[in-house]
Amino acid sequence: MLNKMVGIIDDIGGVTLFMKEVFRTGIKTPCTFSEIMDQTWKVTIQSLSTTAMAGFFVGAIMTVQFTLQVSQFGALGYLGGLATSGTIREVGPLLIAFMLSGKVGAFTSAELGTMRVTEQIDAIKCLGANPIQEIILPRFVGIILSSFFLLTIGLFMSIWGGLLMGIVFSGISIEEYVRHIPNIVSPVSIVTGLFKCFVFAFVLASICTYKGYNATGGAKGVGKAVVDTAVFTMIGIVIADWVTSAIGESVMELFLK
Amino acid sequence: MISVIDSIGLSVIKTVIMVRDFVVLTLRTLVYTFTPPFRVSDIFKQLYFVINESAPIVIFCVCSAAAVTIIESSFHMKIIIQNDALVPGFAALLILRELGAVVSALLVTSRVGAGIAAEVGTMQITEQIDALKMLGINPIRFLVVPRLIASVIGGVVLSILANLVCLYVAMLVSQYKLGHSAGSFIVAMRAFVSMQDLYFAAIKGACFGFVIPLVSCYFGFRCKAGAEGVGLATTNSVVTISISIITIDFILSWIFSYFY
Repeated sequence: MLNKMVGIIDDIGGVTLFMKEVFRTGIKTPCTFSEIMDQTWKVTIQSLSTTAMAGFFVGAIMTVQFTLQVSQFGALGYLGGLATSGTIREVGPLLIAFMLSGKVGAFTSAELGTMRVTEQIDAIKCLGANPIQEIILPRFVGIILSSFFLLTIGLFMSIWGGLLMGIVFSGISIEEYVRHIPNIVSPVSIVTGLFKCFVFAFVLASICTYKGYNATGGAKGVGKAVVDTAVFTMIGIVIADWVTSAIGESVMELFLK
Repeated sequence: MISVIDSIGLSVIKTVIMVRDFVVLTLRTLVYTFTPPFRVSDIFKQLYFVINESAPIVIFCVCSAAAVTIIESSFHMKIIIQNDALVPGFAALLILRELGAVVSALLVTSRVGAGIAAEVGTMQITEQIDALKMLGINPIRFLVVPRLIASVIGGVVLSILANLVCLYVAMLVSQYKLGHSAGSFIVAMRAFVSMQDLYFAAIKGACFGFVIPLVSCYFGFRCKAGAEGVGLATTNSVVTISISIITIDFILSWIFSYFY
């Protein structure tokens, strides 16, 4: 138990130091723009279908559940607004970020871990290049950028999924579904959702690059790095979700009072 | 033009072969599950791995999820019906019907699913599975069956555990943050949910637990040589399981909605 605690603290410190290194490299010797775009494109295309599908089902599930709740009050007119707002503010970013941590996070740490255990990273060092500048920085920025795109696409797909289920399952027309969306989904909600996307992407990118870059011990080590990445990103995302919600709440109170 | 048709046909054939292999693995595992000899000690070892070692993570994450759910439901209720007296009911409903089962299953996926894929994949590329076959031990009976049984039981247990912890934390948060007393929380909760919802959550947990080890073992057995293969097998299994969990959840929610 105590060993585990120490290990967790060790990991947090390791990620922080690694981030310091990445930021310093980013400021002093940034990588080229085309490399970042390359990584962004690769990551986005790879996970597009997965995220779109996940988003679609998340929206559909939210609508099914909200239908059961709301119809008890005869307030089906609010269904569209409620489901959309709930998806954009909370459930969408969380579940789609889970999906991304499985897809993007695990893939990146597997790729970097393979590079590490096959000594490609040492080879880069031998050639006189800085591995953080050459391989970590483009991936780090690329993951954050593409998470942004992917989460936006996922949220759009979830709205479509909700709309479809609203028509098929709860039997209300499109106009009825759409009517209350502008009343309930305020710009603040959208900004909250986007801010959450950014925080989740940052957590995901930092953990998966750190775990992949520091993998040791052959094929087994790569497997372990991927498992660790999946677990830690999920925990990190849940904590980040809670923290951002709490911050959002207090900011709202500040403005309302 | 021909090359396009070619590539489409190739991917269709590949998909059909993958589905066939997966179905064969599932059927074989089911047959071996119900025929002796049973490997009881292996099952208990796996149960420890699935339940005991996942429980702290699941409980911790579900606590955060409960707090967020309460805060968000109160936000929406204030907009629509101008008061948040019914928040406990809505939050309990969301937790029992969706959040508890799905969040715990996704966490178990990342730990157990990825772990099994990495373990079986490493065994495959270091030829330990061939060694098992040479010793006359059936790898499916030895590797897949104990994990399947443990994971189905673990899915049920963790789903119920996650739901109860989540409800308890939601009660605490609504008491200290929104000012509902524990009594009013339970009264509002009882108006919306019943024991039936917990049974449904347990059924969901069992279904998710059934998918996890089968998909991970499938990708583990197909693992290609080298460090890259293990990473790829793990990634693929996590992604496939997550997507299947969300899809299964959607189907089950739809089916269960006819029983309320």
